[in-house]
Amino acid sequence: MLLLNNVTKKYGNFTALEDVNLEFSNGVYALLAPNGAGKTTLIKMLATLIFPTKGEILWKGDEIFGLDASYRDIIGYLPQDFGYYRNHSPREFLLYMSALKCIPPSKAKEKADQFIDLVGLWDVGDKKMKKFSGGMIQRVGIAQALLNDPKILILDEPTAGLDPRERVRFRNLISSLSKDRIVILSTHIVSDIESIAKRVVLIKNRRLFANDTPASICQILMGKVYETDNISNVKIPHLVLTEHQEMGKTITRFASESNCSDGACSVSPNLEDVFLYIYRDEVI
Amino acid sequence: MNDKTKNESIEYILSQGLVKPQTARRRILEMLRIIGFRFIFWDIGYSLFFTAITLAVVFLLFGFVPDDYRYSSSIAVAPLLFLLITMFAETSERVCRLYELKQTCYYSIWQVTALRVICYSIVGLVFTTIVTIISTDSGYEFFSLFPLCLSALFLCAILSISFMRFFRGKWVNFVFTATWVFINTIIPFLLREKWENILVEIPIAFSTVLAILGGVVLVYQVAKMLSEVKKYVIA
Repeated sequence: MLLLNNVTKKYGNFTALEDVNLEFSNGVYALLAPNGAGKTTLIKMLATLIFPTKGEILWKGDEIFGLDASYRDIIGYLPQDFGYYRNHSPREFLLYMSALKCIPPSKAKEKADQFIDLVGLWDVGDKKMKKFSGGMIQRVGIAQALLNDPKILILDEPTAGLDPRERVRFRNLISSLSKDRIVILSTHIVSDIESIAKRVVLIKNRRLFANDTPASICQILMGKVYETDNISNVKIPHLVLTEHQEMGKTITRFASESNCSDGACSVSPNLEDVFLYIYRDEVI
Repeated sequence: MNDKTKNESIEYILSQGLVKPQTARRRILEMLRIIGFRFIFWDIGYSLFFTAITLAVVFLLFGFVPDDYRYSSSIAVAPLLFLLITMFAETSERVCRLYELKQTCYYSIWQVTALRVICYSIVGLVFTTIVTIISTDSGYEFFSLFPLCLSALFLCAILSISFMRFFRGKWVNFVFTATWVFINTIIPFLLREKWENILVEIPIAFSTVLAILGGVVLVYQVAKMLSEVKKYVIA
């Protein structure tokens, strides 16, 4: 079990995260917040790249920085800005990462092949990565994170650059991987995690705002979300969430604290509604 | 606490107590076996190329140095192979976008750098010997100049490692190499023959002790690099 106790991170006078308490067990945990909210700071602390200024991070009761290599041995990390070697193939790169992850050379080739296949890059496994699309590079990044069969998989904005088909494939992969490991996934794209997250962690104003199941998080807006095809008729104070076209009409989804009877019908809130509502004052 | 938990706790405590701390030598051998030379020097071909080009230019200029400045010029040039290769290879490593990711692996890139520093030091030692042989005419001169050149090499290696440890800047090696070249150009320029005479008159015993001390500190520093990864967080 991974535990964060009163974790605070400061950079000089600037507080990036304040007094965060979290507990992770097997399953997908989605860190959902707008850009700049502190997701990456939290992720970097979990990946031992930065120290908390206050508080502690414990893995099975031991401080992760004290565990040193034995903690790094059980994590798989995909950074937000995943660099790669342009002049090498995914297979060469995975062999290199296997060596750094202390996978013996005899097993490394097998592992590299297994994960190249898993992320659907078998046909281009020996091609130089300079010709790869953003999505293909991201898949190489996911493969390297899985090489050491990590107990904690930390993914910072993993779906950036993936096309819709790849996103679905990625969701399914993460869902299957989460059965026997902790997957911590930072994103600001709600659809990436709506169906697979065991818990959603929301960070607001540098503090933990919510940590609950997607269904419970949606309860925050229960009875407050409406849809109408004529928003100008709605006279009560409201927040427009989304708009879409349906049979030539513009359907507006909005949230209101007051009971609405201006031709709008109440609908079940989804995670995206809650996200837009909670972060309505912030740039997303 | 039930018996099962108690027994598990006792076993865990015992197992921790029975684990011998790994020595630097064992760690080096293990890393060489797992990582291998191919991946220790992965993707630093360009750095080696630039080092070779720069050294060739330095050697060309070294040939024009008057005999009156043999000691000062040899001491300035002796650590250059080490400095240049560290500068090109480690700067490119630090600016690489994979540096952060590689810091989260079982063998962090900091430890791999430690292995590379060992190799650079060995190659630097050979280079220093060649520079000394070229610069001297007699056995006495060789034994007088060699410990001084060695001391310069070890000093540069120790300072390079220290700067890498204490400064997170990407260009720290570049700045240090530039500073070394600058200081070794400005001192002979300002003091003229005085500086050369000071170096010539340093007793062999003193410079030998200095070189041995430098070697010991360097070994200690590299051993620390291999074991203290958590001190070198990067962000």
